[in-house]
Amino acid sequence: MLKKQLILRDPLSFLGCETDETEIKGNFGAVTSRAGVGKTAFLVQIAISSLLKDKNVLHISIQDPVDKVNLWYKELFLNLTHNQDAKESKQLWETLLAKRFIMTFETEGFNVSKLIARIDELSSQNIFVPHLIIVDGLSLDISIQSELLQLKEYAIKNNFTTWFSMRTHRHQSEDPVTLLQQLDGNNSSLFNMVIQLVPHKDQIQVKRLPLTGECNDRPPLLIDPATMMIKETINK
Amino acid sequence: MTMNNLMQKVRNIGISAHIDSGKTTLTERFLYLTKKIHRIHEVRGKDGVGATMDSMELEKERGITIASAATYCQWKNHEINIIDTPGHVDFTIEVERALRVLDGAILVLCSVGGVQSQSITVDQQMKRYQVPCIAFINKCDRNGADPFRVIDQLREKLNHNAVPIQIPIGLEADLNGIIDLISMKAVYFDGDFGDIIRLEEIPDALMETALEKREELVDAASIFSDELTEAVIEESEIPEALLIDAIRKGTIQREFTPVVMGSAYKNKGIQLVLDAANDFLPSPMEIDNEALNLDCNEETISLTGKKEDPLVALAFKLEEGQFGQLTYIRVYQGKLNKGDTCVNIRTGKKIKIGRIVRMHSDQMEDVEKIEAGYIGALFGVDCVSGDTFAASGMNVSMTSMHIPEPVISLSIKAKDNASEISIAKALNRFTKEDPTFQTFVSNETGETIVSGMGELHLEVYIERMRREYKAEIITGEPSVAYRETITCNTPFDYTHKKQTGGAGQYGRIAGFMEPVAEEEFVFENKITGGSIPTQYISSCEKGFVSCLAKGPWLKYPVTGVKIVINDGASHSVDSSEMAFQAAARGAFQQAYFKARPVLHEPIMKVVIETPAEFQGNVMGSLNQRRGMIIGSHDVGQITAIESEVPLSEMFGYSTTLRSMTQGKANFTMEFSTYKQVPKSILETIEKKNEKKTKTGT
Repeated sequence: MLKKQLILRDPLSFLGCETDETEIKGNFGAVTSRAGVGKTAFLVQIAISSLLKDKNVLHISIQDPVDKVNLWYKELFLNLTHNQDAKESKQLWETLLAKRFIMTFETEGFNVSKLIARIDELSSQNIFVPHLIIVDGLSLDISIQSELLQLKEYAIKNNFTTWFSMRTHRHQSEDPVTLLQQLDGNNSSLFNMVIQLVPHKDQIQVKRLPLTGECNDRPPLLIDPATMMIKETINK
Repeated sequence: MTMNNLMQKVRNIGISAHIDSGKTTLTERFLYLTKKIHRIHEVRGKDGVGATMDSMELEKERGITIASAATYCQWKNHEINIIDTPGHVDFTIEVERALRVLDGAILVLCSVGGVQSQSITVDQQMKRYQVPCIAFINKCDRNGADPFRVIDQLREKLNHNAVPIQIPIGLEADLNGIIDLISMKAVYFDGDFGDIIRLEEIPDALMETALEKREELVDAASIFSDELTEAVIEESEIPEALLIDAIRKGTIQREFTPVVMGSAYKNKGIQLVLDAANDFLPSPMEIDNEALNLDCNEETISLTGKKEDPLVALAFKLEEGQFGQLTYIRVYQGKLNKGDTCVNIRTGKKIKIGRIVRMHSDQMEDVEKIEAGYIGALFGVDCVSGDTFAASGMNVSMTSMHIPEPVISLSIKAKDNASEISIAKALNRFTKEDPTFQTFVSNETGETIVSGMGELHLEVYIERMRREYKAEIITGEPSVAYRETITCNTPFDYTHKKQTGGAGQYGRIAGFMEPVAEEEFVFENKITGGSIPTQYISSCEKGFVSCLAKGPWLKYPVTGVKIVINDGASHSVDSSEMAFQAAARGAFQQAYFKARPVLHEPIMKVVIETPAEFQGNVMGSLNQRRGMIIGSHDVGQITAIESEVPLSEMFGYSTTLRSMTQGKANFTMEFSTYKQVPKSILETIEKKNEKKTKTGT
């Protein structure tokens, strides 16, 4: 019962992302914002939604230790189940944990080949087969273009979706979509979904950025910075 | 000399490393060179005496250091207090305690083995307590010695900014001396025990390497000193003091690890390790020590470190010596004089300070006082390890030490009466000395149960009972502390009625039991109108409590139960305390099985550090043991795997892990939570229990 209620609060469906779109194997999505706006919190909410749908989530964090990542999940799950039956929430949390695997790397120690080797090892031993991979903290720039293509190929072959965090900077004049398209030599097939978080007064606005040819007439969402939970949609 | 000047010349240091890296030998050499002992006894020497620091018989035999022995020595006008710490993972509480009271450490590494599993554990502990360290690469005389490979490992595996301040003159059997990159001199160690130092010019063949390494050293140190940077830019001569000062700053900030090298066994380079401890490790004044203010919601307060201020001291180790209990103490603020009175903050009791000594392994020297920054030992003080002593009116406690929960239990039985007394004495001593070693008598079997941090941990204590106390002991199988609990709200209404001649027994209790989270047992009295007279309420509670120790289902302790009584009846003649206790027991039995009991097992947080190439196998092994892997963290070549594994699956895991990873992985384990036992496992436990009941064991 609780699980069903929580699934309805999937942040991606609020943004108008169709289920088949978010679950197409090999699809790449990016959550983009400046530092400190809430990319990790949003990615963790995407992850929790997938966990609730019985999908296995592999969370990769560059820099943050396992404990810190775990804390994000705990906090956001607590916020999500606020006012719900504590016992039922606790039981649900226990079941979600078994479907989540956190891998953390130091910046210089991470590369896609290593990640692929790790996933292969986990899958071959039947320890963990991911359906969704969250990559948080990887610097998405042209220097890792070939690695991203390698991961995309691997994701298609192994049927998982990947969401990245993408940090933008004040001095960048290009919009995030252009930056992401540059990663793929402008043929724009690498990333399939881009979500942008922008500070809006004392709240955070979440909007889905249209990729080539797309039209998104959904109103943006608002995130409460205190809980990092989706609050409401803004009426146009 | 002023007080500050005196204090600047004090070093409280620990020596920690992987087992068999030679740290006890190194300490022995320190003591010899500082004239604290006049003969050297090897750890596994032919003279059968053993090293001075290994004062326990078992340590001497096994060649390992079990309990930290504290000692002090003087070197070039500096007073060095040394705590020799054990290397095996099962004894890490000793290492942790030592690091808690020390201001700096020497990390000893084997030039052949390099950074080994225990070095990683010890390094993490140093990080936890922010202990600055220098690294000593020992055993450079051994075949396969390669100190520069070890330095690379220090950088890659432990993330140290490790920079050599020396290079060896020859290696393996050709190790002749050391080149000091600060003074740019070749140092040779003559005499039978290397105690005569001969300074020479650097051999031509090594000059190029020495210059190259010196440049690297100056480069790395210049980050910590503007003056040094200026000198480098101006290409002027760099004074030794300036370079030492820069390295010292970096070391104290834990951003620079100076690396020294040599061979303790061959007496090469030891004086330079002592020099490095003086030069680079901090004095007590340079460390900010904090305490918890118990008057202000345990807010942290900084201690001044001044001897004029009120006393704050920590008892960090207890030992039972031939003259009674010896309490090792570190004074953080104020001073402790013979005859003074202070307060044990935990008990609130005043204690009078009798004899004060400074320890030199198992020998001692009487002193009149211990001042802030110093380590000493007291006689005749009743306390436990971790107690804070403070001046009257100071309600502060030193930050509590991280003490892991015991994870394994074992029953022990004495073979004869004499052994029973010896065991009692030994247990009393060991539990006071080591907070991770605990003991209790099982209500069920009447057996004495000991629990600790691992199989070896318990094994060593049992062995010590046999040797030091001549106790004959029979040990049982290690066991897990399962618990029963209920899962739903169930009413009860039970009448205890007995009429067997004479005064009868009568009592009726009604109410309900329900599960309660995070509490062992809750009893609530909601009786109104005196249906159960007030004087019998406590008997009702007693009756329920008596059922908790041994659950009606699988005979394990029952926890997480709330009992609410809301009705009942009594008889003016036949009701008694005993009758209501019996009624409560009956009510408990009546409701318990309807409340759908489940069995919970302890789940341990297991962190395994393994070279990355073995991480797949290690994860597989955790999976096989019903472990849930939370995640993995890659640091250099090492992967730390965090998981939660039922304790019952962890017996013998250290052996499995060793063989799976060629001994290169290590693990730590601490209690995390209790979780429900899965059905398949429950069946096995039930069968075992049935068998036990049948055989009566």
